[in-house]
Amino acid sequence: MSGFFGFDTSLPGRGNSGAQGGRQQFSGFQASNVDETFALGGAGEEEDLAVYTWGEGGMGGGGLLEGGDDLNDETFGGDMGEISNNFQFSSQPAPAPTTKGKIASTQSRYKPKPVSDPFAFSEDDFYSSRPTAKKTTSAKAPSRPKASTAQSGSVENLWNKPAVSSPAWGTAPSSMTKPTPPPSASYSSQPPAPGHIKSLEEIEAEMAQMAMPSTSTAAPTQQKVLSLEEIEKQMMEQIEPPRQATPQQPAPPREATPTQVPGLAGSGYASQQALLDSMFPELGKGPAAVPGQPTPAFPAGQMQEGQGQPQPPRPSPEELARMEELHKRITAKIQSMGKYNNLMGSSDKDFITRIQLSQLATADPYTSDFYAQVFSALKRSRMIAEGQGDGPTVVQVGAGMGLGVGGPVGNRFGKMGQNTMTKLSTQVKKLVENRAQHQKVANTAALQGALGRVTRGNAAAPRPVLAIPTSNKPENRPASQLNQQTGVHRAALTKKQVMFALEELYDAILELEQMRREAPPPTAMEEIEIWHAKCQAKVDIIWRRLMVMEPLDISNPHPFISLVNPIKGQKLFPRLLRHLPHTQSITLLSLLIATYTQLDVVVRAPPPPVADASLLTKADRLDRAKREAETDSFLQFVIPGVDMIINRCGLGLVAGMLAISAQRSEVWRVAATRPGVALYTALLSKAQSLIRSPTPDPMNSQQNQQVDPAELEQWSKTFTYFLHVLLPHLNDLFPSSVAQKAAFGPGAYLIGGDAVSDREGQEMERREAEVWGFVAVLAVNAAEEDQTNLVGALREKILHTVQSSRHPTVSPARAEMKLRNVNMFLNGLGLDASMIE
Amino acid sequence: MDDAANSGISEPLDLVKLSLGERVFIKLRGDRTVTGVLHAYDAHMNVVLSQVEETIHIVDVTEDGNPLPPRIEKRNLEMLFVRGDGVILISPTQQ
Repeated sequence: MSGFFGFDTSLPGRGNSGAQGGRQQFSGFQASNVDETFALGGAGEEEDLAVYTWGEGGMGGGGLLEGGDDLNDETFGGDMGEISNNFQFSSQPAPAPTTKGKIASTQSRYKPKPVSDPFAFSEDDFYSSRPTAKKTTSAKAPSRPKASTAQSGSVENLWNKPAVSSPAWGTAPSSMTKPTPPPSASYSSQPPAPGHIKSLEEIEAEMAQMAMPSTSTAAPTQQKVLSLEEIEKQMMEQIEPPRQATPQQPAPPREATPTQVPGLAGSGYASQQALLDSMFPELGKGPAAVPGQPTPAFPAGQMQEGQGQPQPPRPSPEELARMEELHKRITAKIQSMGKYNNLMGSSDKDFITRIQLSQLATADPYTSDFYAQVFSALKRSRMIAEGQGDGPTVVQVGAGMGLGVGGPVGNRFGKMGQNTMTKLSTQVKKLVENRAQHQKVANTAALQGALGRVTRGNAAAPRPVLAIPTSNKPENRPASQLNQQTGVHRAALTKKQVMFALEELYDAILELEQMRREAPPPTAMEEIEIWHAKCQAKVDIIWRRLMVMEPLDISNPHPFISLVNPIKGQKLFPRLLRHLPHTQSITLLSLLIATYTQLDVVVRAPPPPVADASLLTKADRLDRAKREAETDSFLQFVIPGVDMIINRCGLGLVAGMLAISAQRSEVWRVAATRPGVALYTALLSKAQSLIRSPTPDPMNSQQNQQVDPAELEQWSKTFTYFLHVLLPHLNDLFPSSVAQKAAFGPGAYLIGGDAVSDREGQEMERREAEVWGFVAVLAVNAAEEDQTNLVGALREKILHTVQSSRHPTVSPARAEMKLRNVNMFLNGLGLDASMIE
Repeated sequence: MDDAANSGISEPLDLVKLSLGERVFIKLRGDRTVTGVLHAYDAHMNVVLSQVEETIHIVDVTEDGNPLPPRIEKRNLEMLFVRGDGVILISPTQQ
């Protein structure tokens, strides 16, 4: 069970509990109570983590004192009566109904119990034993105020029960494991039946009873010196409003009883309650403040007499059945969990908590707990909007160690929060310091276990519980290795090397991004300079790791291309570009264009679609899907960056890039792929916009000068060459033509025909549009006679597209797309598809 | 070159790091395997995967105790957290 579950679900239920009071009269299985039970239990869990004082002698588990029964009094507190009652709930071995019907006095006072009610015993015992308890306490109090009272008889019985598990919710374990020899006087009381089982309601009521002392601020030390009168008074309080302790009723925990449980005040429940108070302040109010009043949890008759509150409608039988079902499930769950109660002592819990905390502590909480920080920032902004306070995002634990917290600390843990976090941080601080000392002694421990062998450690070099990074690994850079063997053509990077290099790059990028976030205030000039230098150093490292400066022919594919081939590397690309200076990004782009054919997305471009997907094997389909995914990712991550760099280039550079591409690759092959089309389109349209709009730009007068005649001439030469290489293959650039060419057999006629679904058809048109856009910029850039050549080369394609758009079987949407595609090209030449008959 | 790449690898889980963001194959206890894109892992081999295909190998037994031929059940999940105690092996998928 998780404290968070309880925490979350209980909140809405709480508001209702008052309103549903009437219902609780006849149903023992109110949902709201169920909620509260879990909330309490959950809170108990939370308390385990939050409120333990690790290593401080354990107030919660003061129970690890083994020998020496003379401390029993302190361990068990002064008033065994209350304790016995409180402990009973946990000792539920089986869900079976009571074996011994101990229904007596309470039955007369309260509503008739169902025959199968398994909760019959406890209150009965409780009350029947009380007079005796009072007597014995009074008799014994002067000499030993803390001695076992009469009711310890029932405690004793609980302990002696064979199948009894230890108390739930982690209450003082030792008190259960070490039964006290019962004073003979206590046996005058009726021992409870051993087989009794506590109901959920009883558990609730008892939890509530335990919860009470926190409000009474009873401290264990005070309890030791209780006078006889005080004890008597407490007993009287218990007797006088006996209804309030009725466990039969699903009373909301806080309202159940004013019973004091002083002996438990120090056992952790007090702090738990304080935590609860802070989390659910509304709970502490209301009925708890008026303990004498009957609570809404009483049977209907009494309720009406006593308070005359309006009665909500009875729940329907189905609802009752549902609740009963729910209740059964919960009881069973609690029982199944109860098996493990108190398996761990508080020191064990401390130990585990410490291990967990030490795992969380980190030298750099802002980076290591990045997501907690982001979450915290989001939550914080919301809370500030709601007018709530602010808090630290990092809990500092010791020198340079801390752990990030998602959400403001104080609000999360309530008013206990700060206190708890302080304790927690001292604990972890101790641990971290301790660990650091140990590591100085045995630093070789870092390598232990690296090969998977379990090292048990020894006194001198204990097995590290907390690994503090001591030294950085030597930086590994394939690039530097490569540089040592210049001029040699080597094998391409292996997949493993690529992945490793990428991980290093990601690490470096993350560090750099973190560095940029930590910019010093603009006033501190010196710091800013240092910061700039540090960032620049990091950029240099990244640049070297990118291996862009490797010789062009060092390997195929080039190391840099190997890095952009995986999707992981493509995603890195835009993040890299942001940090690279202009010259470096130009270099990078030139390399990319020069080695464009080595890109996976170009070499292994997705094949044209086939008419019938069932012709493909599964491996084929997977391969196609992978290639498509890579291409999409390349277009999504790399091409925008390429566009950005190209947009900062002058005409000369653009011409140079196109020339590089035309020289080093078979242009038509590259242009037949989507990344190729995107690249060329970007280059050509940038060139055109530079040529077309040489209007002086006041912001950037340089740009105007860049379009000088020499550059223009160079551009037109390059472009003409490019166009003429491309012209014979122009039709092959269109995916639909390629698909038709690739198709064979009976499916061939299907391509582009009616059988292709409209959705696929539209996707095809979208791909076509990319190419039409490309030929449009070709047309715009081309000289007049080349434009004629262009139209001549594309004539059939244009006619076919326009005609098919008028075909009756083509859906209107697709027809419109077709026309728009053609017009994209034709309009550039001053023509329009409507002119075609 | 291989030495260069290996020098940064000091423990087995460093190899898993290389598969971050890639499709991995994970064999789990209880006759299950999953493939998916690895997003995160930790020292306990808890992993977070996306685009997961889980495969469960089931052998049904008839009433008289004879096993039927094993069958395979598959399901696809958008995002999956796999608790580390069930992980037997993690490997990059071969493609």
